Amino acid sequence: MMVENKKFFVKFIHPVFVCITYLFLYLPISILVLFSFNDSPVSIKWVGFSLRWYKKLIQSPEIIDALRTSLIVAFSATFLSILLGTCFVLANRWWKSSFLTNLFYTNVLLPEIIFAIGILSIFTFFRIPVGYGSLITGHTLIGLGFTVPIVKARFSELDPLLTEASLDLGATYSQTFKKVIIPLLMPSLLASSLLVFTLSLDDFLIAFFCSGPTVQTLSVYVYSMVRAGVDPTINAISTCFLVVSSILILALCFFKIIDQVI
Amino acid sequence: MNFISRILADELPFLFACPALLWEVVFLFLPLLVLIVYSFLDYSVQSHAFVITFEYYKQVFNSLYIQVIINSFILAITTAFICLLIAYPVALYLALKVKKQFRTFLLFLLILPSWTSLIIQIYAWFFLLEKNGVVTHILCNLGIISQSTHLLNNYFSIIIGMVSCFLPFMIFPIYSVLEKIDPLLLESSADLGANRFETFKRIVMPLSKPGVYVGLLLVFIPSFGEFAIPSLLGGSKMVFWGNLIVDKFLKSKDWRSGSALACIGILLPLLIIVSSIFIVKLVKKLSSPNNQQRTNKARDVWS
Repeated sequence: MMVENKKFFVKFIHPVFVCITYLFLYLPISILVLFSFNDSPVSIKWVGFSLRWYKKLIQSPEIIDALRTSLIVAFSATFLSILLGTCFVLANRWWKSSFLTNLFYTNVLLPEIIFAIGILSIFTFFRIPVGYGSLITGHTLIGLGFTVPIVKARFSELDPLLTEASLDLGATYSQTFKKVIIPLLMPSLLASSLLVFTLSLDDFLIAFFCSGPTVQTLSVYVYSMVRAGVDPTINAISTCFLVVSSILILALCFFKIIDQVI
Repeated sequence: MNFISRILADELPFLFACPALLWEVVFLFLPLLVLIVYSFLDYSVQSHAFVITFEYYKQVFNSLYIQVIINSFILAITTAFICLLIAYPVALYLALKVKKQFRTFLLFLLILPSWTSLIIQIYAWFFLLEKNGVVTHILCNLGIISQSTHLLNNYFSIIIGMVSCFLPFMIFPIYSVLEKIDPLLLESSADLGANRFETFKRIVMPLSKPGVYVGLLLVFIPSFGEFAIPSLLGGSKMVFWGNLIVDKFLKSKDWRSGSALACIGILLPLLIIVSSIFIVKLVKKLSSPNNQQRTNKARDVWS
């Protein structure tokens, strides 16, 4: 009896539990997506299929503006954090000091709200108006906390003999860098840039604190809309967000670099 | 000139590392320092100078604020442990039971919600649970709840939102540790006569400990400072540390007491966690004095 009970647990309860967990994660999202195609402003009843909320989305100048802001910030933050992070990792090899790398783990160990008030206070302290500058600064800071560990993990796995061989065979430093080091680092660079891009696109707290009165990112805009109540336009935006992130993750899977991020 | 170029060549790696370090120091550590200094300084009108004061800390400790900080600590701990309870079986299943091909798909499904905006995940729950939402409608028709029951704006809805948003961050670290366990270890344990439970207790659990710790940290920290979930799913009645910080810095512009609040909010959880780890270690040491001897004996037998 006891043994049978155990088998029952292993064979039946465990998979069911996993299924329920996935359902718990996906039920809200799928209903959200479903109702973005609903032809009615009320959220209970299914009236019919329509794309009218998506049309409204494209026609709203505020949303387009917010999207542009989000994209500008995300692209610059990704570029900056990849550039700075890679330079740091490459330089770190000559020092072999782990203390300096550990500095970047603080980014994970502090609540994000602290970064937000920190950047807000430093910008107000020096009387620099907040806006694009503070947003990009903050997102680069968050991004560095992910770029440095990811690129460093890859970099420390590289065989130093490869660079030596390249130098022995007559390549200059810059050639070795371009033709050996960068291609070998490419998976981690791609993975971390995709990660930083999504983080920046999705970030709410830093944008909420540091965007100022004139600049608005998409997630802050969505937040203010949610405060006002349910609106199918938000469902449409959310669906677009979901599509974009699934494309990014599929790209990760496609390049086989998914394990760099997890 | 030659001298300068030689120095430049020697110190080039250092120069490369500088921008990232500067960024980190100027935009993270300097502001933290400013916060700490801010919370201790006060401008006195009589002497026209800055004086050190503990007034703002007194304010925090004497008022409801400390209760708020404790509340958010409890909320974060609850979230972390509920996440652990749900995440461990899932991670175990993914790592040990699922075939490789299907596993990638399941992992993809887990990453997707954690890579979408937090606000959207919150909105999804908001959409489900609100007064005219789907869940309320269904439960009403089934007669489980009455028309006037609010599923939103209570502790329960906050916990649901927190758990669903932070669950993937608990599953990933545990999964990545469990995945690395050598299946031969499990086999040999079974061969040596241990049943499933025994194998789990003696082999899987100790090996997965680092993943569990990382997961607890990854869930605890963001949920302690969370602002959007309580403010959207919890209504205005429940106040947590994050909401207070937003209030102090953005609405009332009361920066000094806000800084004191922020400093306490960083230090208090840290202190509680470190001291509890210390106490647990101490208790373990005191309660099993012959543990060390036993392992020594085992070592003797083997060597």
